[in-house]
Amino acid sequence: MTTSEARTHCPYCALQCAMTLSPSADARASLTVAGRDFPTNRGGLCKKGWTSAELIDSPQRISSPLMRDERGELVETSWEEALDAVAGAVTRSRREHGADSVGVFGGGGLTNEKAYQLGKFARVALGTSRIDYNGRFCMSSAAAAGNRAFGLDRGLPFPLDDLDSASTIMMLGSNVAETMPPFIGHLAGARAAGGLIVVDPRRSPTARLTEDGGGMHVQPTPGSDLILLLGLTHIVIAEKLHDAEYVERRTTGFDAVRRSVSSWWPERVQSQTGVPVHQLRAIARRLAESKGTYILTGRGVEQHADGTDTATAAINLSLVLGLVGSAAGGYGTLTGQGNGQGGREHGQKSDQLPGYRKITDARARAHVASVWGVEPASLPGPGLPAVELLQSLGSDGGVRCLLVHGSNVVVSAPDVSAVRAGLARLDMLVVCDFFLTETASLADVVLPVTQWAEEEGTMTNLEGRVLRRRRAIEPPAGVRSELWILSELARRLRSAGRFSTDAPTVFDELCRASEGGLADYSGLSYDALDDDSAPAYWPFPRGSSGTPRLFVDRFAHDDGRARLVAVKAAERHDAAQKDGVVTLITGRLLEHYQSGAQTRRVPELLTAKPEARMQIHPATADLLGIDDGSRVELSRGQASVRCRAELSLEIRPDTVFLPFHFGGEQCANLLTEQVTDPVSGMPEFKRTSVRIRSLATASVPEVVYV
Amino acid sequence: MSESPLRVVLIGYGPVGARLVDELLPAVSSGLVELTVVGAETDAAYNRVLVAELAVGRAERESLDLADPGEAVAVGVSVRTGVSAVSIERTRRTVTLSDGSVLPYDRIVLATGARANVPTLAGVTRLRYDHRRPSDDASMLDSAEAPLPRGVTALRDLADADTVARAVRLGQKILVLGAGVLGMELALAAAEAGAEVGVVYHGEIPMARQLDRGAGLLLARAARHTSVSMISHSPAESVIFRQDPDGVDRFDALVCADGKQISADLLVLSCGVGARSELARLCGLDVATGILVDERLTSWSDDRIHAIGDCAQIATRPKLGDSQAPPRGAPSGLIGPGWRQADWLARSLIAAASGLERPDPLEAERSAMVMLKASGIDVVAVGDVSREPLDDLADDVHGGGGAHTSGCLHEPPRRVSSWMDAEHGRYVKMITLGGVLDALVCVGMPRAAAELTLLYDRRSELPTDRSVLLRHDGPDFDDVSAGDLFAEDATVCWCNAVTVGAIATAADAGHATVACIGKATRAGTGCGGCRERIAQVLERQALSTSSI
Repeated sequence: MTTSEARTHCPYCALQCAMTLSPSADARASLTVAGRDFPTNRGGLCKKGWTSAELIDSPQRISSPLMRDERGELVETSWEEALDAVAGAVTRSRREHGADSVGVFGGGGLTNEKAYQLGKFARVALGTSRIDYNGRFCMSSAAAAGNRAFGLDRGLPFPLDDLDSASTIMMLGSNVAETMPPFIGHLAGARAAGGLIVVDPRRSPTARLTEDGGGMHVQPTPGSDLILLLGLTHIVIAEKLHDAEYVERRTTGFDAVRRSVSSWWPERVQSQTGVPVHQLRAIARRLAESKGTYILTGRGVEQHADGTDTATAAINLSLVLGLVGSAAGGYGTLTGQGNGQGGREHGQKSDQLPGYRKITDARARAHVASVWGVEPASLPGPGLPAVELLQSLGSDGGVRCLLVHGSNVVVSAPDVSAVRAGLARLDMLVVCDFFLTETASLADVVLPVTQWAEEEGTMTNLEGRVLRRRRAIEPPAGVRSELWILSELARRLRSAGRFSTDAPTVFDELCRASEGGLADYSGLSYDALDDDSAPAYWPFPRGSSGTPRLFVDRFAHDDGRARLVAVKAAERHDAAQKDGVVTLITGRLLEHYQSGAQTRRVPELLTAKPEARMQIHPATADLLGIDDGSRVELSRGQASVRCRAELSLEIRPDTVFLPFHFGGEQCANLLTEQVTDPVSGMPEFKRTSVRIRSLATASVPEVVYV
Repeated sequence: MSESPLRVVLIGYGPVGARLVDELLPAVSSGLVELTVVGAETDAAYNRVLVAELAVGRAERESLDLADPGEAVAVGVSVRTGVSAVSIERTRRTVTLSDGSVLPYDRIVLATGARANVPTLAGVTRLRYDHRRPSDDASMLDSAEAPLPRGVTALRDLADADTVARAVRLGQKILVLGAGVLGMELALAAAEAGAEVGVVYHGEIPMARQLDRGAGLLLARAARHTSVSMISHSPAESVIFRQDPDGVDRFDALVCADGKQISADLLVLSCGVGARSELARLCGLDVATGILVDERLTSWSDDRIHAIGDCAQIATRPKLGDSQAPPRGAPSGLIGPGWRQADWLARSLIAAASGLERPDPLEAERSAMVMLKASGIDVVAVGDVSREPLDDLADDVHGGGGAHTSGCLHEPPRRVSSWMDAEHGRYVKMITLGGVLDALVCVGMPRAAAELTLLYDRRSELPTDRSVLLRHDGPDFDDVSAGDLFAEDATVCWCNAVTVGAIATAADAGHATVACIGKATRAGTGCGGCRERIAQVLERQALSTSSI
């Protein structure tokens, strides 16, 4: 049943385009989607947004809890039985193996309320330290770098439409034209000024926006971004293009950074990145000379074993140029998942409590414990970041009972075969989702939950602006909200904590818990969020009107200064690229979102992009006897992916690209390794050495001697 | 077995020494290693690669800094600058410094680097350092008893850079003797900074050690275009002086073998460098062109002594009965290998101190890539580039070529492909073994050079169609997709992935306005940036329909 018109936001990415959902006149669909004017999307939506409501009526939705029967089949059961089974397994596991034998894996798509409640549920009802989330796979490196440099991590420390007046925007490892298309409207000013610089090993649709005088595409070899950034900083300092006054007044650590980049002179950088010296100099000069320069990073440069250092190098460059916190210019990282920002602020991370507080900080523990009505000492300490958490599944002293919320780990985590093996070792796997995803289909209990249009909540977009998600339609009968599920489980576990099922109540509690933290929401309420004309950028302490622009006067460190942190690039030891060895990078397609759990169920999107295709340069394909559209195999050790090839001049000859939205034998993450960044725990998604071969019958060209 | 703490004395605090210090810091702070650094220069380590840039005012002194001795001292390293090591007593295991202090050691690392060569020139005194005790005055380490005459300088350290910088500032005439990489870099940079510059060299082409005739001529021509006088075929013989008002001789002109005299205000000697190995030689270590060390960077003569960087010559230790001839090869003179050696040696020393297994021996360096640092002139070269495409072809046709005649089938022939556009200054030659680059030279094609560098570095296979690599610098590469904006499959709306074809189809179905197209195809309903192009597509479509 449809209620009425709902002013809400798109269910997918962090741009959170504003949309209005209304009852559909068409009998085949429940809801009609309309774009809504908003500073971020200005009424526009991409293909994913326009088709988002189709999932509400999807015949593939799960409408009742599922549980394995004695034959091992997933069969429908009642909520009572399913929840009793979960609570029973959890209680048993806690008794026999300790509280840390129960783990929680969350997601960056959950509302703030759910993310908050999940963190509280883990620490209070389960008493476990073992909670982390899939945001570890996206934002952790940039977050770690931001915290280290600025003392605070908000993806964009300025409103998105500040970019409109920029004359130079350098985007590193971000393909917004496919991942959040309406974003590119904000690049128009820079393109008109010829100042869009896109750094990407692929000539992605975003890179193509630099054509026709729009700017410059820089195509470094994968994994060399850190060196590229050190080299740009070298040139900026060597050519005295840096803002010495700003550096002196607002930062510390310049001398160490200057020394650390001295060894990266342009010719050396060229030899490691493949970017010619003249281009390096042109970029450095453009960044320094233009009025209004922004440097933005994305997953392409962050999803590496040196991702935190790479993000740090981008921040160093921005600081040395005097951009951060200035009137026209800045640094930002583009958050990917719908609530990737809010999801990392309120306690889903293994080392954090609500309000972006450290779980090891005694004052933070005391404050949060008082809001939760428990003893500070009862709160567990820091747990394990995602990759380690997944590695611990079913092992001695590891997690034996796992609850998964809003994440499809057997498609999205690195080295999915290992993850799958870990899930198989569990005593119990519980998955909350609305579809029987690849991960849900492995579960012992599947709990069907509400979709975005069926619930109230808040999301925090890529700018750190808190937005209202509103209900447009009643959920199907057998489906429950995660808030209700957590409350029911807590009751069965006889938890001391209160777990409200009402989103506004949970939000009010979240605001109190976050009070005094870095991500302070204490001045917010659902009433305050009703007025779109009064945007709510955090920090939003009680009595304030929020913070659209951060770092204008000071950074969040005690002395108010930003930290320039010298970082080192390791020598690269890449495998020789012959006999089919190439570098695999992974990424996204316009038509799909994350693991594809949702978008692969939208017919229009699936028809447009029904399968994974490996993008490869024709010269490399020729060498390996691969034709356009022919079947190929990519392998790393025992793992392999099979799919079709797509020949394209838009990729470097030493690199192949696979989208990671697909499962089965096309799952890109079969190939990625569980190698992580030492600071952030971010996996290395964007640089895997693989061997490719054609699966087509070898056609031997006839040799003709004349 | 571990020696802990391991007492390490590092002699030489240049870029390579500083890298070693950096890498040892964690071991020093944990007490595994006790490190003393002896540096003759009073300045902390700086990046010598950029000295030419400093000399022409293109870089600031601070931007050359590589190390912070303060940081090392804070961690517990003893840093002694402004003193030199004058002898090593190997049996007592001590090092004596110029200030008389004596340091005991478990290991010594020699990173003394190299000094500029002074060529044989009548009028300029040359010193043989082989058996000379290092000067007690650390600042005189390279010139003790024979300072270069006024108006003559090398270009190696900060003082040299000052001398050149003054000449550049005053707009003086600078003559560079030697057209190696450094000589050419200085000449080009100084010319760009407005100085009047000439380069004097032996043969027909500059950088003769790295380039073939084609590349050399292109470089010489490019240098002429930037108003550097390229004085070829001119072996230098002697120097003529005039007297300054204070009665001291000053350089006036260089005399060449053919009798010509080239006058200038400053003569910069750029005739290569020689290892500072006298300390090693005096204490009886094996020395050839550099201090001889094995693949573990350990002296042939003493397991407790290591050498890295420009003073070290890596060669396999001879076995009993091997030839007594000194080994071939020389220190590379490039910073990259030196840094790799410092990294490796640090790991090895830490392993020794903590009783861990030693790391695998350092991988042998391939010929090092040379890239000319000059604005607007792109030259990259590596390996032996003398082979010509026609040699390659002739071998195939006539069955010539060493590999074939000797019947050694294991060695595939060296293949050569090249492209020369002399008029526009573009040239590339790729020499491959089994499809993998063995040598290359590339002029005037920056993108291709950058890609080829990566391919060489990784020993990757080149595409069968080598011309793919040339297109990086061509107009078709940058505009791959801009070819036809109105091609059927050209994307118009990125937000919704709508092509020209889809819009045309919708237009044919009667959707005549941008708004209608938006409803029908969703084109233009994202960021809205493509609405103008949708209108253009509609216009063209209308025209083509009406013209039928």
